[in-house]
Amino acid sequence: MGQFIISVGREYGSGGHYIASILAERFNVPMYDRNMLDQWAEKNGIDAENLYKHEEMKRQGLHRTVRGHSSSVQDSIAQLQFNFIREKAASGESFVVVGRCAENVLRDNPALISIFVRGEEDAKVERISRLYKLNKLEAKAKMFRHDKKRKAYHNYYSKMKWGDSRGYDFCVNSSLMGVEATAEGLYHLISEYLKEKEK
Amino acid sequence: MLAEIFAIVIFLAMFVLIVWDRFPKHYVTLGCAALTSIFVFGIGMRDAHAFVNTLAFKNIFKTSFWYSAGEAAEQTSGINWATIIFLWGMMVMVEGMAAAGFFDWLCLKIAKLANFEPRKIFVAFMVLSSVLAMFIDSITVILFLAAVTIRLARTLKFNPVPVIMAEIFCANLGGSATMCGDPPNIIIGTSLGYSFADFVMNTGALAAVSLVIIIIYFYFTMRNRLQNPADKVDPSTIDVDIKINDKKMFFWSVVIFAIAVGLLITHAMTGLTVAFIGVFVAIITLCAGRKRFKELITRVDYETLFFFIGLFVVVGGLEETGVLVTIANVIAKISGGNAHVMIAIILWVSAVASAFIDNIPFSATMIPVINALAQTTGVDLSTMAWTLAVGTDIGGSMTPIGASANVVGISTAGKEGYPISWATYCKELVPGTIIVIVVSMLNIYLRYL
Repeated sequence: MGQFIISVGREYGSGGHYIASILAERFNVPMYDRNMLDQWAEKNGIDAENLYKHEEMKRQGLHRTVRGHSSSVQDSIAQLQFNFIREKAASGESFVVVGRCAENVLRDNPALISIFVRGEEDAKVERISRLYKLNKLEAKAKMFRHDKKRKAYHNYYSKMKWGDSRGYDFCVNSSLMGVEATAEGLYHLISEYLKEKEK
Repeated sequence: MLAEIFAIVIFLAMFVLIVWDRFPKHYVTLGCAALTSIFVFGIGMRDAHAFVNTLAFKNIFKTSFWYSAGEAAEQTSGINWATIIFLWGMMVMVEGMAAAGFFDWLCLKIAKLANFEPRKIFVAFMVLSSVLAMFIDSITVILFLAAVTIRLARTLKFNPVPVIMAEIFCANLGGSATMCGDPPNIIIGTSLGYSFADFVMNTGALAAVSLVIIIIYFYFTMRNRLQNPADKVDPSTIDVDIKINDKKMFFWSVVIFAIAVGLLITHAMTGLTVAFIGVFVAIITLCAGRKRFKELITRVDYETLFFFIGLFVVVGGLEETGVLVTIANVIAKISGGNAHVMIAIILWVSAVASAFIDNIPFSATMIPVINALAQTTGVDLSTMAWTLAVGTDIGGSMTPIGASANVVGISTAGKEGYPISWATYCKELVPGTIIVIVVSMLNIYLRYL
């Protein structure tokens, strides 16, 4: 099988991250999420903890750009992650990547298969409540907060809007069949697509 | 009155758009320049002469633009073509030096001379940053110095963040020392007719005192955060490759740099203007690096040059409508004609403004203001010019957005996994900036008033 890269965009609580991990496991390829900072930090002998708080965030506060250089820490970390994704893609490796505007970063890469996972509000709130042991109100607030942040981040660095079906190859509602079944469905769809592509 | 209102609104809109940083800066200034031409010179003033005066094309064709015996002011209002042409020439020269590997070679050579000892490198790079920034734009200086610092930090296991912040500060300080060190100085020099030597004798002397003080301050406040003693690496085990990419180009880039410095130092004696020096240096760089002609020409930062052109037209609108004279009168009134108060206002307002807004439009706006102040209050123009240069150049060090070098240093560090937040930056460099501004103010008071 030739190189393939699966990017998974997701709404908070939709199970998109879990779906990405199932796909990575089924295809037997690595999955990159925040762990890309760990890998990068380990390679360069720095502490990844300093980088976590700035990742997947739109630039904050007053900033300035000079000859393509930005004073925003969020911009720098975003570029660091985009470069990491580009380098992995250029190396010929197949992988699954969660968020980080990957479908935009690799939009001209023929190996890319982009997915966006959404969910019904009730199902997402239920999932968040269960996973983080929160009441429904807290879970809903957490969901809105995270989605707002992700949307702002994505729309700032990408050409297409977050969750807009025109920006992805597959858009799926994980609440219809459940997270695991959705992951299985996507696995079969992508496997079929890759087989067709091989011919 | 209509023209004044248009000029002020367009000027303020330009500043807001620059600070907002949503659109490229050169689009903002060129767009505002077009609006100034239509609304201020056209609808408001109905004065084609003021518009032509601001474009200042005819100056380029005067002999005095290229060669001027004596120290006459090279240009007083409108687009300062001398600044733009000089910057273009220096950008071509710096691209030639960078392509030859000059900066990497110099930084690594100095690190080796410092025996790869982090504390010595820290001090040596502060001095190197200041000295290079006296002749080369601070963006280029920090671009190379920060990259080499990170490379060395990974090999020698030290924290590059304090070193990069100190380098940024020293680049801004070194830039204040000469006429070509920082764009505000070039604009001040070409607008008011000061020479390279004038700057060295005045802002250079002020910067030298400040540099000694700031090196001591940074050394004692940052040395313990440079390296964990357990991480110390034996210098004899260090293997850093100090190579030159293109030996022929390297030789010529050093020669051309020496010629540029020589011409700048002697330009008041030779009568060669900075515009001439810029073009001459660019031509010899392009001849020496003719194989890379296209690369050298295309890599010049034209966006910054267009930014300047638009900016000068907008400021020209304020000048032609008399708004800047009104501002000068307000400063004169507040200070009651007292030179000490006036200098303090110019210095601190320039420093604080430059900490948040681009110091280039600020200084371009303030030059006609200090010119008017000198005429109405009798305070020496040169004293105010040096004060303005020091305030705008050094004030920019205070925040991450105050100067181009800060942005480039922070960005280079961030992309390599060393994020420098507003809090981290300001905690280190606000006290340093205040110390240098206070020292400079006392120096100005003692020497000139």
